[in-house]
Amino acid sequence: MAPEPPPLEAPGSSGTILGSLLTRSTRYHRPRAPFCGVGYCTNCLVRVDGVPNVRACRTPIPPTAKVEVENAWPSARFDLLAAFDIAFPKGIDTLHGFRRPAFATPWFQRVVRRLAGTGTIPSPASAGLVRPGRAVEAKTAVIGAGAAGRACAERLVAAGDPPVLLEREPGLAPVPGAEMFSGTTAVFLPPPQDGRAHRFELIASRSDGSAISVRADRVVVAVGGYDASLWFAGSDRPGVLTAEGAERLSTPASPRFAHAVVFGGGKRALEILERFDGKVDAVVAPGTIAPELARRASELDVPLYPRTLLLGAVGRRRVEKVRLARRGGEAPPFEVEADAIVLAHRRLPHPQLFFQAGARTFWRPDVGAYGPVVGAGGATTVPGLYAAGEVAGAPEMEDARRSGGAVADALVGAVPWSAPVAAGPSEAHHELEGYYQELLSVGPGPGKVVVCPCEDVLLPELLDATDRGYRGIEVIKRYTGVGTGLCQGRYCLPEALLVLAQRERRPVPEVGYITQRPPVVPTALGALAGLPESEGSAP
Amino acid sequence: MSEGRSRTPRVCIVGGGIVGLFSAYHLLRAGGGPVVVLDRGFLSAGASGRNGGGVRQQWETRVTVRLMREAVGEWRRFGREFGTNVWFRQGGYLFLAANAAERTRLRQVVEAVRAEGLDGRVLDPSQVPKFAPSLSLDGVAGGTFLRTDGTLYPFPAIWGVYEAVRALGGEVRLGVEVTGVRTQDGRVVGVQTNAGPVDAPVVVNAAGGWSSDVSRLAGLSVPNVASRHEILATEPLKPFLDPMVIRLSDGMYFSQTMRGEVVGGLTVPHPSGTRAGMPTSPDFLRAMSRSLVRLVPRLAPVGVLRAWSGFYDDTPDGFPVIGEDPRLPGFVHANGFGGHGFMLSPASSKRVAKAAMGEPTDLDPALFSPGRFLDPNRRTAPESLQPG
Repeated sequence: MAPEPPPLEAPGSSGTILGSLLTRSTRYHRPRAPFCGVGYCTNCLVRVDGVPNVRACRTPIPPTAKVEVENAWPSARFDLLAAFDIAFPKGIDTLHGFRRPAFATPWFQRVVRRLAGTGTIPSPASAGLVRPGRAVEAKTAVIGAGAAGRACAERLVAAGDPPVLLEREPGLAPVPGAEMFSGTTAVFLPPPQDGRAHRFELIASRSDGSAISVRADRVVVAVGGYDASLWFAGSDRPGVLTAEGAERLSTPASPRFAHAVVFGGGKRALEILERFDGKVDAVVAPGTIAPELARRASELDVPLYPRTLLLGAVGRRRVEKVRLARRGGEAPPFEVEADAIVLAHRRLPHPQLFFQAGARTFWRPDVGAYGPVVGAGGATTVPGLYAAGEVAGAPEMEDARRSGGAVADALVGAVPWSAPVAAGPSEAHHELEGYYQELLSVGPGPGKVVVCPCEDVLLPELLDATDRGYRGIEVIKRYTGVGTGLCQGRYCLPEALLVLAQRERRPVPEVGYITQRPPVVPTALGALAGLPESEGSAP
Repeated sequence: MSEGRSRTPRVCIVGGGIVGLFSAYHLLRAGGGPVVVLDRGFLSAGASGRNGGGVRQQWETRVTVRLMREAVGEWRRFGREFGTNVWFRQGGYLFLAANAAERTRLRQVVEAVRAEGLDGRVLDPSQVPKFAPSLSLDGVAGGTFLRTDGTLYPFPAIWGVYEAVRALGGEVRLGVEVTGVRTQDGRVVGVQTNAGPVDAPVVVNAAGGWSSDVSRLAGLSVPNVASRHEILATEPLKPFLDPMVIRLSDGMYFSQTMRGEVVGGLTVPHPSGTRAGMPTSPDFLRAMSRSLVRLVPRLAPVGVLRAWSGFYDDTPDGFPVIGEDPRLPGFVHANGFGGHGFMLSPASSKRVAKAAMGEPTDLDPALFSPGRFLDPNRRTAPESLQPG
């Protein structure tokens, strides 16, 4: 058994906690600090009152709670097991290593087992915490109360056809007339089944630890998107944040940085530049820089580095410098001083529910992600399933509202469902087109490139797999473990697809996409155990 | 990859799962090549990449215990032979009984196990916590334990055998789907695929859950039935559980992997056949979570990370089908392994290779031959300890 975890250095409300080093990575015990701010990554996992792997960024933690560091000894700041990071600069090869001598294998197994895993088993106090959940019935379920989902719900209410609205964030304003579940994440949307009272039966997990079953005839998915990660040496270092991570985690009360490098050349980078006025020291973009961003940066006297590779974050404990190289391969790499890197180069739609429901999806070269095939009125290829907002290709606020409204019109109007057709080949390209090809030829380093921070998978492991002839994301996932961690592949698979497409010299759709296995976010056994029985088939 | 293409293969193996690959390996080692392995998916797409990684020797029939015992020896050697580490960890298998009838059944299992020279033990409820301290003893009326059973990580086994097959000159063609079995004068001459015909005097059906489909392509009716079984994995935890645990009453099983995830399954009814694909279901998530939390109440707040399903290839008597089909010379079965093809594969594939070379095996034809189902008067005790 692992030793009981030591107490956190600075317990308190989650706001205070998030300012410090919280945990260490599984294999190499690399320092980790909050990264995404939206409850997907594994960098803020702590043990709270005997429950492991609580995401401090999304869970209100009362000051009286017992908060413990999970994966470090004696503390997250100074962890003796970090010796593994230094002792194995090229990583530990658990796939080929530790096979001999035969008599030592049980001992190898004990050591490697102890290094794996995050938290320890919950304390006996949490025994049997089965939270009974209820069944909710509705004609229409709208998932997501952002701009698109809200517009859709409002119009449905106005048309006398009020939906049930599920929203992952707690505390958003309700939509008058619609039953709204806040702090509720749709985690599993199986394909519809005919012959039941309601064709769809979806499972949603709630912040109170229960799960509900929502039975509906029609489902509108308006779950939006998230800011992507990026692969470079030290991309798992404290100080590296996604754009929404920066927005949520760096507040005036607890600033996380004063001299950030923003990575991105478009609207999202501009938003970060405006929000953190005076705290951004440079804007680095993989491609060209949008005119509005360039204009604003020059007004603020922020230097711009267009068409530049982000090679690495330099600094042992957190970002101290950023290593860059102009694309084109002529000039040598150079460094700029910074205490943070904010990744604002691309937003990705959440595709999971569409995959689960069996809707047809396609590779969208403009965003560099998969999305559902969507037709008039937001219809997907699954009758009764609709997409609105960012997942339907409408990332801007106004477009998202319009797309939500259009779905509502289709639902209440006499517009018959018609199968959508896939968009034709697009000329547009996402920001990272060709980026990793250059990055790999220049070489990121020095230092580890952790491509899967949840399981500490390193870039050379991925490259080794392709060198050995393994092809396709499904196989690479199983070979390296990329995509199987606690973030469920959100921060590694999009990058893996781009790198593999380049390595395998074939388009991304041929590299494939891993099956989106439910649930969308980790859902407690005690919540699933409390789900009400399924609706039986109609006689 | 191309070295095998110029030669006409002697054996064409349909199915690139662990059984097909391992059989190819033993064929090549014994000089039974050239061999081509065809799979319509990617490596590990089927049950070989979807199973829980259990390896057990506790069975009702001594012949199965014996074969599994051989397999355990092979798994222990695997890393040194194949170059990849499957992390075969002998943490034991703990079977749990809920009542007197189940206890009696498990006692018979231990008798078979001990008769084969293994150290199986019958446990009182009070002895269970010694092997799995986190379990609730509520509803536990006893159990059995065998220390040398264990769990492994399936993927490195696939990679290791795949690379060994290729190193021996075997050809593995992925993304190639068999669409027909070609015969001439009443014997096999090859297969038809979506990538053209493949000539081979011997065709091995190692298609797992899809084996009955492949047999049908050869015009053979077989009693194999594909059944869909689901599994889930939780967030990874530090080690707290050594053995694989199986509750006989509902067939729920779970273990903790080397990475710390609790991986386990339980069977909820689904229509048989491979039509529905391999998704998971709300019914499974609910039933499995309930069963697991009842047995390990402390796991209640632990998150489920993902759930998936795969196909067993079941036979009426619970024994696999290994050998040439008497109705179609050249057509060799290597299927019907239920949910235990992976664990048995190092042992079964040696026999498959022999059968594909036309040599006799040590397997009792009344239990393993494809022809056994054709005999209406056959009466043999089935192997019915199928869960986990």
